[in-house]
Amino acid sequence: MSEKILLIDDEQDFLNIMAERMEARDMNVSTASSAKEGLEKAAAGTFDAVILDLRMPEMDGMEALKILKEKNPDLEVILLTGHATLKDGVEAMKLGALDLLEKPADINTLTERIHSAHAKKLVFFEKKNEEMIKNIMGTKGW
Amino acid sequence: MNNPDTSSQYGPIGECGLRFFGKVSASISHEIKNVLAIINENAGLLEDLSFAAQRGAAIDPERLNRACLQFSKQIRRADGIIKNMNQFAHSVDQFAAPVDLCNTTELVCNLAGRLAAMRKITLQIIPPHAPVVIDANPFLLENLIWLGLEYALENTSEALSLTLAPEQSDSGTSLRITGIDGLSEDFSDKLPAGCKDLLSASNAHLAVDTAHKALIIHLS
Repeated sequence: MSEKILLIDDEQDFLNIMAERMEARDMNVSTASSAKEGLEKAAAGTFDAVILDLRMPEMDGMEALKILKEKNPDLEVILLTGHATLKDGVEAMKLGALDLLEKPADINTLTERIHSAHAKKLVFFEKKNEEMIKNIMGTKGW
Repeated sequence: MNNPDTSSQYGPIGECGLRFFGKVSASISHEIKNVLAIINENAGLLEDLSFAAQRGAAIDPERLNRACLQFSKQIRRADGIIKNMNQFAHSVDQFAAPVDLCNTTELVCNLAGRLAAMRKITLQIIPPHAPVVIDANPFLLENLIWLGLEYALENTSEALSLTLAPEQSDSGTSLRITGIDGLSEDFSDKLPAGCKDLLSASNAHLAVDTAHKALIIHLS
């Protein structure tokens, strides 16, 4: 099953080439060129992971991460930045980001993180299903 | 402004000047990282295509051409960034030199381009009818224009446009930054740290024209 990815970056050329390379790796990619557009797309769809640029006009990636996690704590977010500082890294992890990668990022590392985000999501849903089945069994006295 | 003694040139504005250098360097390095990221992905795409070709897939020449165009585009972009950086770095070579105010304003606008883009503000220079050349310390002049522009960007609503007009009249030389919709009479309280020392070291002063939403840097 292909991963559904939302890619948010204000650099249009970067967005286009990343989407093309990820699609070539059998991922289903949606793009947004601002945090605002990204938040709208995230609210309207279901994604395995969001790849989010840290420095963007209007709303930066850290603020967008906070909103994404508030609305959907299970959504996995990977931050991308030109310069990753320790402070950014700590803040991103505190806000629940899966990882913070520095540009230019290695596509294999990024793909690996996306696979692990997808796997985490599958485990989460399996657990949720198990709990639901247990609840039903308990209610019915089976 | 033309004292060749280093300490008296930069001493009073040491921290302010260093902060200016730091901000410009950080902005430039961030922009170059973005360029490198796009080049990296296009190189990766060529690798993907060559890998696919080795397994018998046909390569679309049009796709190769688009990747090459991206390389050229990003190299031109990086070249522009580095030219500005080089011009900026050499501005500390001389303590006093005849400086074209329009060229210096253009350089500072280019250096501040990313900051303006982050606020979706457009910077437009209105060139003077005749070149405006003043004797100045190039670095101090750049720092002064930067601080004026930084104040203007912080006090202008997003998606608006700022115009910068170098002017020369009988009363002297000035740079007028127009379009600051948040400009107020108490602007001097909002000025960035070190601005007053820099103004004093540059023998310059600031004025506002609230009717035209303009900040004027009087340089002589």
